[in-house]
Amino acid sequence: MPSLIILVPLLGLIILNMPIGNFMRRGAFWFAIALFSAQVLLAVFHHSLAWTGKLPPVDALFKVGFTIDHLTFIMFICIGLVSFSSLLVARHAMGDEGELFKFINLLIIASVGMSGIVMVKDIFSLYIFLEITSIASFILIAFRKDVYGLEGAFKYLVLSAVATILMLTSIALFILVSGDTSFSTIGASLQSGNRVIVMLAIGIFICGLFIKGGVVPFHGWLPDAYMSAPAPVSILLAGIITKAAGIYTLIRITSAVFGFIEPVKAILMLAGTVSILFGAFAALGQNDFKRMLAYSSISQIGYIVLGAGTGTALGIAGAVFHLFNHSVFKSLLFVNASAVEKELKTNDMNRMGGLSYRMPITSATSMVGFLSTCGIPPLSGFWSKLLILIALWQTGHFAYATIAVLASVLTLAYFLMMQRKVFFGKLALGLENVKERGAGIMFVSIALAFITIGAGIFFPVIYNNFLLPIKEILVK
Amino acid sequence: MSLNLMQTFSIFGFFIILLFIVGTYCLVVTRNILRAVIALEILIKAVTLLLIVVGYITGNVALAQSLVITVIVIEVVIVVIAGGIALSVFRHNDDLDVRRLQNLKG
Repeated sequence: MPSLIILVPLLGLIILNMPIGNFMRRGAFWFAIALFSAQVLLAVFHHSLAWTGKLPPVDALFKVGFTIDHLTFIMFICIGLVSFSSLLVARHAMGDEGELFKFINLLIIASVGMSGIVMVKDIFSLYIFLEITSIASFILIAFRKDVYGLEGAFKYLVLSAVATILMLTSIALFILVSGDTSFSTIGASLQSGNRVIVMLAIGIFICGLFIKGGVVPFHGWLPDAYMSAPAPVSILLAGIITKAAGIYTLIRITSAVFGFIEPVKAILMLAGTVSILFGAFAALGQNDFKRMLAYSSISQIGYIVLGAGTGTALGIAGAVFHLFNHSVFKSLLFVNASAVEKELKTNDMNRMGGLSYRMPITSATSMVGFLSTCGIPPLSGFWSKLLILIALWQTGHFAYATIAVLASVLTLAYFLMMQRKVFFGKLALGLENVKERGAGIMFVSIALAFITIGAGIFFPVIYNNFLLPIKEILVK
Repeated sequence: MSLNLMQTFSIFGFFIILLFIVGTYCLVVTRNILRAVIALEILIKAVTLLLIVVGYITGNVALAQSLVITVIVIEVVIVVIAGGIALSVFRHNDDLDVRRLQNLKG
């Protein structure tokens, strides 16, 4: 049954691209909307029969083994939500119907790739779905074929290919040690294998995932790609692609294959802390709205990696919740950045000012987004950071916990600067005629802001139903 | 591993490492977009060879075959996209120098 998540969009794509008339192009938008809504709803109500039922004819034809657990459900919700937002923004940002159709095709391919990543249980299928997602995102970044987009796409392509090469090398070494590609077999044979080869393979694989996730010191491509991509693509990249390809895979592989052994934990926590600090300091010095959000993403991804590095059930729950929160509020901030960019035709924060008079909803939702990023209660970002901090404290990493708290202040600093430069203060010259964007973008902003607030207020419900069961991935 | 397999592995291992070094050197030194793509190709060839050898040593020839064929397919797609990007860059800049791709920084 889970294979339908992959097969239905693929079949839909084939039908949509058949040369049987123009009405298919108009149908593409609604098909994608239905697809992403269905994905989110099925994942939210995950006790339904849809996940456990069997379809013998389909299973006989499509023999990729998939597994479903609570981590997968949370990722499904993130993938659906971010793709949905990106789609609605694209409808307003792209005037041409043909362009929108191309975008929807690539968006569906990327989301199929990500759904595959979060369901697979062998390392070879993981590689295939990672590549599907990456290939769709190269094309999406270069979508407008302008110089900036091409540059960002080329940098991402080269680094992503290097990451792929590292991962394939490590897959070869895993096969050498265990003779198979499934997570469980490799995980079982790692203890008995040759120590040097095993550590080399683990190290190489983690480097590859760090490149895909944009963790410092492998973050070079990330600000360029986020900044140069068209607005809906920035939302998709920042909201979910780097997280599904890099961070989710890191959590899954570490828990299912490597196990939380001491060297892995040390690497994760060190890389996480360096990312937090580097991203925050770099964000302080930016003048470009989207570039600042990109560095802020690096910093928040650092929190996720740091939380996952504790290796306890609480730490992983915190990391996964922060991953969810980050996809929601970073999408929200990128949606607002795209609204501002579209109105002002620039991303330079020094040329903005006083926009809260002209764009009150954008300003208010941005405030919700950045307060949640900084971890102000009762917004959802507070709870995830709290979980990560408690996990760090329980495992005795007091220095890392202190740095994580202090870096939150840095987060507040650069976001307050952003809010003051862009939205508060006197209205800058030449911005008298700026208006709010269309209803679609405002709907996305408001919905994402309500999810941020709601996830904070109803945190106990989410904790009991979605986060607590995640510890099942540790018991193998 | 028996002695015979060890010998096979060391011969192939030498060439795998050689290909890795050549590819990495090419990727680091070159200033041309197409040469960077070729460098990536050389690196992927090294990995492909490694996969084949690993399949032979562990006796999983069928698994290695299916892996290698998939790797080749995906690699072709990546090269096509890289070629498309190189072509578009050439149309904008009239050359393929990566030093002119430095508009984004900060």
